[in-house]
Amino acid sequence: MNIALGQYYPSKSVMHRLDPRMKFILAIVYIVAGFVCKNVLSFALLLVSTLLLIIISRIPIKTVLGSIKAILFIMIFTAIINIFLSTGEGDPLFEWRFIKIYESGLYNAGFIVIRIFAMIIGASIFLTYTTTPIQLTDAIERLFSPLKVLRVPVHEFAMMMTIALRFIPTIVEETEKIMAAQKARGANFSEGSVFKRIKALIPIIIPLFVSAFRRAGDLATAMTCRCYRGGKGRTRMTVLKLKVRDFAALALMVAFVAGIVVINIVNIGYTMN
Amino acid sequence: MSVLKIENVSYVYGPKTPFEVTALKDVNIQINENRITGIIGHTGSGKSTLVQMFNGLIRPTSGRILLDGEDIWEKPKEIGKVRFRVGLVMQYPEYQLFEETVRKDIAYGPSNMGLDEAQIQERVLRAIEFVGLEKSMLDKSPFDLSGGQKRRAAIAGVMAMEPEILVLDEPAAGLDPAGRSSIFKGIVRYAKERGASVIIVSHSMEDMARYCDDLIVMNNGELFMAGDKNEIFSKGEELKSIGLDVPQITEFVLELEKYGIYLGRDIYTVEAAYNALLKLFGGDIV
Repeated sequence: MNIALGQYYPSKSVMHRLDPRMKFILAIVYIVAGFVCKNVLSFALLLVSTLLLIIISRIPIKTVLGSIKAILFIMIFTAIINIFLSTGEGDPLFEWRFIKIYESGLYNAGFIVIRIFAMIIGASIFLTYTTTPIQLTDAIERLFSPLKVLRVPVHEFAMMMTIALRFIPTIVEETEKIMAAQKARGANFSEGSVFKRIKALIPIIIPLFVSAFRRAGDLATAMTCRCYRGGKGRTRMTVLKLKVRDFAALALMVAFVAGIVVINIVNIGYTMN
Repeated sequence: MSVLKIENVSYVYGPKTPFEVTALKDVNIQINENRITGIIGHTGSGKSTLVQMFNGLIRPTSGRILLDGEDIWEKPKEIGKVRFRVGLVMQYPEYQLFEETVRKDIAYGPSNMGLDEAQIQERVLRAIEFVGLEKSMLDKSPFDLSGGQKRRAAIAGVMAMEPEILVLDEPAAGLDPAGRSSIFKGIVRYAKERGASVIIVSHSMEDMARYCDDLIVMNNGELFMAGDKNEIFSKGEELKSIGLDVPQITEFVLELEKYGIYLGRDIYTVEAAYNALLKLFGGDIV
């Protein structure tokens, strides 16, 4: 079993050292910027900015492109839909029976691909490649802490996320063990009808649930023993503090978005409608 | 009965990744038939990887596993049949119980073999007899049993397949002394009555000395020693060099020797030491 989860890529780049709260905000702004882009020049700028992000965060391009594989199908699919279904002004570039391809279709397809690419890569660089899951939940807890006024249990949600992330590898390992044990008793997961295969999963799922509940109980006991009593009055080991580089990163991001807005207004090249 | 032979077997976890780990290096072992073979070694010495190769749960990176002279990976599609001939009880087997009743759970293996209902029930009864479970337990939920009983039920689940070679990875881990000895005695009885070979992985030198005929010592993924237990325990210094030990009672007997009290070199159990001492002082052997 090979599950790439929280593909944190350890390194000491500036990106890694940014405050996780700032990275969370930057990721959202970057995604919005992706939607704001409208014309050739702004999409070009978006693409360049994504490449810059990869370079700054010092993540091997191979690793980054590997993560695109999962959404490659969606990218190609939307591109094809756009090529064939866009209707533009003027004459079609290519016509065969009912198929008409317009120049605008090609542009739109390219734009969509760049947009998906930039948003996925950008968000994963900010949130997964350079930020550990623990840092991320920590950031989310603090960014949403104002909601505590509305009695939203922010700390508890963050703790649940942390625990869930922490236990994914454990449960994967457990699953492998149970599968091996049932195979040793003659279980066969890869042969027979669909119904038979689903039935073959019961001997894995039941022990897995039993052990997950057992672990949950044990963990709750262990946390109680260490006097865990929720978020109230809890102090932190690592206190996050915004530094100059965080504000510099924010300033750059604002400049980038402003640049895109200006380009949209000036309107250079083909513009998406 | 069947002979298991391991030929030049190596195994690498996560090959060609930064996490590459060699778990086994060129291991050659012959498991003798109708014997109880113990595998000892430290955590991470490759014991568990090795036993999972015996029934084809792990395919060696290189080398062959021969069952009665035939490579078990000759026909990968028929690896399932090997698993009925070489039964493996994994570590903490009680975590694989899943059925509504103990009876159904023990019957899971035999029914995967395609046996008919009467044969399955017969095997279930035989299996619980080996592990010492009461008949009245059969219709309980496995989740209502105590820890020790769950362990017995899980071991019975593999014994019910009546494998020619029974492999157990730490069958008594985490049990109290009474539970340990009762489980080991059941395993020994299975070997005797079914004429099966048994392979036991354990950390406990005492248990190994008491129940095994042959021993295999693993160290850092390599075969360190293999042979008859008398032979292995006579090399106490070598065992100590890799951080293993001879049984405590053996060490005690060897210490006595320094004071001129000679009890013998093949004493691995408290009973044997007791008898030797009695003999020395002219008492009757119990």
